[in-house]
Amino acid sequence: MISGILRVGEYEWEVPVGFVPGMRVPGHYFLSDALEKTLEAGAVQQLANVATLPGILRYSLAMPDIHWGYGFPIGGVAAFERETGVVSPGGVGFDINCGVRLLGTPLSVSDLTRRRELVETLYKSVPTGVGAKGNIRISGKELDGMMTKGAGWAVSSGYGMPEDMERCEEHGNMVQADAGAVSMKAKQRGTPQGGTLGAGNHFLEIQAVKEIYDPGAAGVFGLKPGQVVVMIHCGSRGLGHQTCTDHLKILESAVKKYHIPVPDRQLACAPVESPEGKAYFSAMAAAANYAWANRQMIMHTVRKVFEKMYGIEYESMHHIYDVAHNVAKMEEHIVDGRKVSACVHRKGATRAFGPGHPDLAARFAATGQPVIIPGSMGTSSYLLRGTATAMERTFGSTCHGAGRVLSRSAAKKNISGTGVKNNLAREGIIVCAPNDASIAEEAPDAYKPSSEVVRVVDAVGLSRLVARFEPLGVIKG
Amino acid sequence: MSYIELPHTADIRIRVTSETLEGLFSETAAVMMTIMYGRADPGTVRRSISIESDSTENLLMDFLSEVLFISEVDALVFSSVVVLLSGMRLTATLLGEPFDPGKHRGGTEIKGVSYSGLRILKEDTGYVLDILFDV
Repeated sequence: MISGILRVGEYEWEVPVGFVPGMRVPGHYFLSDALEKTLEAGAVQQLANVATLPGILRYSLAMPDIHWGYGFPIGGVAAFERETGVVSPGGVGFDINCGVRLLGTPLSVSDLTRRRELVETLYKSVPTGVGAKGNIRISGKELDGMMTKGAGWAVSSGYGMPEDMERCEEHGNMVQADAGAVSMKAKQRGTPQGGTLGAGNHFLEIQAVKEIYDPGAAGVFGLKPGQVVVMIHCGSRGLGHQTCTDHLKILESAVKKYHIPVPDRQLACAPVESPEGKAYFSAMAAAANYAWANRQMIMHTVRKVFEKMYGIEYESMHHIYDVAHNVAKMEEHIVDGRKVSACVHRKGATRAFGPGHPDLAARFAATGQPVIIPGSMGTSSYLLRGTATAMERTFGSTCHGAGRVLSRSAAKKNISGTGVKNNLAREGIIVCAPNDASIAEEAPDAYKPSSEVVRVVDAVGLSRLVARFEPLGVIKG
Repeated sequence: MSYIELPHTADIRIRVTSETLEGLFSETAAVMMTIMYGRADPGTVRRSISIESDSTENLLMDFLSEVLFISEVDALVFSSVVVLLSGMRLTATLLGEPFDPGKHRGGTEIKGVSYSGLRILKEDTGYVLDILFDV
């Protein structure tokens, strides 16, 4: 155990004020004994660093997939009072609104013939990997549409159905977006990349519903045992990366202007209501919208491929939900009995709004929002639902995935990509990737077990298990 | 000029050493190309960068971010990066070849250059840089 940390519950740990100088609140994270063994000191340091930022409410929080990142730890959640607090790109990351989308199909596993052909067709149809350009030509006006309307732009441009939007965090559109706050450079990067998956840990996976834990919620979400679903994991591409780079530079100057001491330069920030803070937030929202439009366009391509290969109707493939993993939001929460308007940062964490939350579509009023937790390549992914406990304890937040335990170079050194591919093939899982080294980097052994991460959030009540999926085919970015 | 990879689970953190500050800048840009594209063969397409900043660290950040930007929007893989520094002013000449999916898909996308843990030290034998790339 890292020295100076207190265990305060079976799955709960506290980083006391004073762990690093200038902490305004304690750090608090959720972790099991098994996961605690791989916790890096760097991640705890980053959690404590976040606690030094002005206006932070209650705790600097981290979910059970906490690991060492830059600025915030990955798995980090922090809410800052809107009037006195800050907004920081260090709490969002370069890949703004990197997130996950889940598409249902009317097919069951036994219907899924020609599986290799399906995976290879999807691999050819969805541009993937470093340097990939989109198949869809986007004009300047259309790019503005992506940034201001998000998934709504994609749907009105013919890449989906109106019902897709209500099954999406924020209905796929942050209304605070201002395309004017996004630089020409970011727009130049984003223009050719609409509908592309990207690289690294991004993926498109064909999965089957293997287990249902909560039949009531699964029914509301539109899932049944043995059903084939498709999971899409990607973000805002170069447009988001450049937006973070541009505004980080502006906020680096802002910390001097507003006399905000930051223990890590990546935590550059500005008051939420300052011109610099507002400019970053509205540009970040535009990049988040681009990401929702991007995932909507990819989902459209997937639907077209299934429609053609299996003769099923486009309209029979229902969007289940879409969540952001890297984003800051203006939300209202109850803190110590009073309603507070806060800027909530989730960096490698998922919103998990509980039953009855006014921001959710009526269909999720009784269940809470769907929460999608991807596993590492070749392992189970999960669907959970948001809870009242998350609203009370973590500003309506839960984990986002498995979390790495091996660095990419260690994975490449110790794991054979070809071996992983062959092992998965023996289990009937087909993998398409730009090269075998990239398979090694994302191999299951490089990650914490996602089953343990979701077990902890379920045990604490930050979200509740609904269903488990097993992969059938993987397209790795 | 050389570099080693430092421990980091999620991202790529490296230590670059060079006798000169110019060498440190150009070597770091070359390492970025290797991370992203796996390999970079000599090419003849030329690009120039000319920027100013208020500190050596910020100049490096701006330079590397500019290399990332040009490489992506012009679809170029640079094999030669020559940097000239005059105070806080940088000029660089980059030579490379067009991105070729058949040849350059061996790497990992760098999403951004982080300020986290960024450090440039002057030692007796030259300069040492620690830097983190979000991948």
